[in-house]
Amino acid sequence: MRAIILAILLLAAAAPLAGCGRQAVRAAEKEFLADQVMVFDDDPQESSSDDHIRANREGAAGGHGAGGGGCGCN
Amino acid sequence: MRLQLAAAGLAGLGVLGAAAPAAIADDRAEVSTALFAEQRDGGKGGLTVIHPQADFGIDLGRFVSLDASYAADAVSGATSVIYQVDAVSSATTFSDTRQEGTLGIGFHGRRSRINFSATLGTERDYLSHALGGSASIDLPGRNTTIALAYSHSFDQVCDKDNGMLSPQEAKALTGADPCDKSSGILGKDRPGTTLWRDLSIDTAQVTLTQNLSPTMNLQVAGFGQVLEGFQSNPYRRVRVGQNSPKEHIPSTRDRWSLSARLNRYLPRLHGAAHFDARFYDDTWGVVGGDVELGYSQYIGKNLLFRLHARVYQQTAAKFFKDAFYYQTLSTAGEYFTGDRELSPVRNANLGGKLTLITLGGDKPVWGLFDKLQVNVKADILMLAVLPADSLADNPMGIDKQFIYGNSLLDAVILQLGLSGNY
Repeated sequence: MRAIILAILLLAAAAPLAGCGRQAVRAAEKEFLADQVMVFDDDPQESSSDDHIRANREGAAGGHGAGGGGCGCN
Repeated sequence: MRLQLAAAGLAGLGVLGAAAPAAIADDRAEVSTALFAEQRDGGKGGLTVIHPQADFGIDLGRFVSLDASYAADAVSGATSVIYQVDAVSSATTFSDTRQEGTLGIGFHGRRSRINFSATLGTERDYLSHALGGSASIDLPGRNTTIALAYSHSFDQVCDKDNGMLSPQEAKALTGADPCDKSSGILGKDRPGTTLWRDLSIDTAQVTLTQNLSPTMNLQVAGFGQVLEGFQSNPYRRVRVGQNSPKEHIPSTRDRWSLSARLNRYLPRLHGAAHFDARFYDDTWGVVGGDVELGYSQYIGKNLLFRLHARVYQQTAAKFFKDAFYYQTLSTAGEYFTGDRELSPVRNANLGGKLTLITLGGDKPVWGLFDKLQVNVKADILMLAVLPADSLADNPMGIDKQFIYGNSLLDAVILQLGLSGNY
């Protein structure tokens, strides 16, 4: 139950941010955003390995996103 | 079990990660192996972890994809038996292997995707079974992506059966104790000797990715996790007064974090700058944060070089004490631990990654791949263990309560990876 409440709170916190920038970048302007250096977690195995090592050395965890982010270039 | 914290802490993340990989529109395969080597005092050598991974994904038509992944940890090296003023003298050696497999299925439309996955992890004394799902959608304009993910992990930890003994009398598990399994994936108790204790982990994440300009994007993420059940290391003992019982920590932990990441492309330099910051808090009193800076630079068309530097610091859990105070003043309450992850600690790492990119063009690379990448990565890690209690009143100091060494350079990581899209 607490997890559900937590998820709802997180969603509520992020939702207001979603309205910004509908026209921030036009489709024709996304050349640089499509480059792999601009993709968050473009190497999932590296991200997974880094998180794994940190979880064995640090008390903190999480916070690096649920994936799914992209440039909307397709 | 020495790997269990990673399994516990990452059970949710692993599932979420598998459920929502970076959007790749075609079949793909990736294999990598990481080597982690940490120095340790006590004359028993250091600690070595070899971490191979393999991921495969295929598209079944336009709307469905299947993913399978495998990862393992082969760990060997030195560990300490008792958390005490001089843990170094009790150093001994151990080895363990963890294996984990994940299957996932994804459904994707023009602007949205949803994924489901199941993960099974097993080692001698720890079992993990996780189910997860994630969903993401591009908002109109396709400059904003919102992703949600949730997972539940049903874990089991092998523990010594201490009957009615109090925590101050409880004995720790040893490598000689049996941890029986049924069908290899379910724990099987041996009353009077060992029991499998439950741990459930609920993890939720929400991520917002926003294009801010043609050369800049931002990602903000929130993470929440609830752990309920057995979370101690059943092998770890703590010197409390004249006794050395098994560590005893709370059965509930609620944790959350917020992070922000920013990428800025630099067209004139053909490179990009990266910024990452995170704040973390939990109900055990651990508060932490990290900042990471990075820079990526293309060298010609086929080489990509990246540098990154990160610093991290955390406070101690409310029930953590420097070993001297457990030994001379006993515990501050019901709980006691010798876990370095629950101590005040600061660390930093510095590293680089070189990627060789080969595009197939009209002719596939090696006759198969549209795009093939070879990655080589190296990191150095530095660590500073900080005092949790007054050093002025601690004549024994804290230099030997862990066996992790006191030199500036704590560990190195090397990773070699190969990924292809076909």
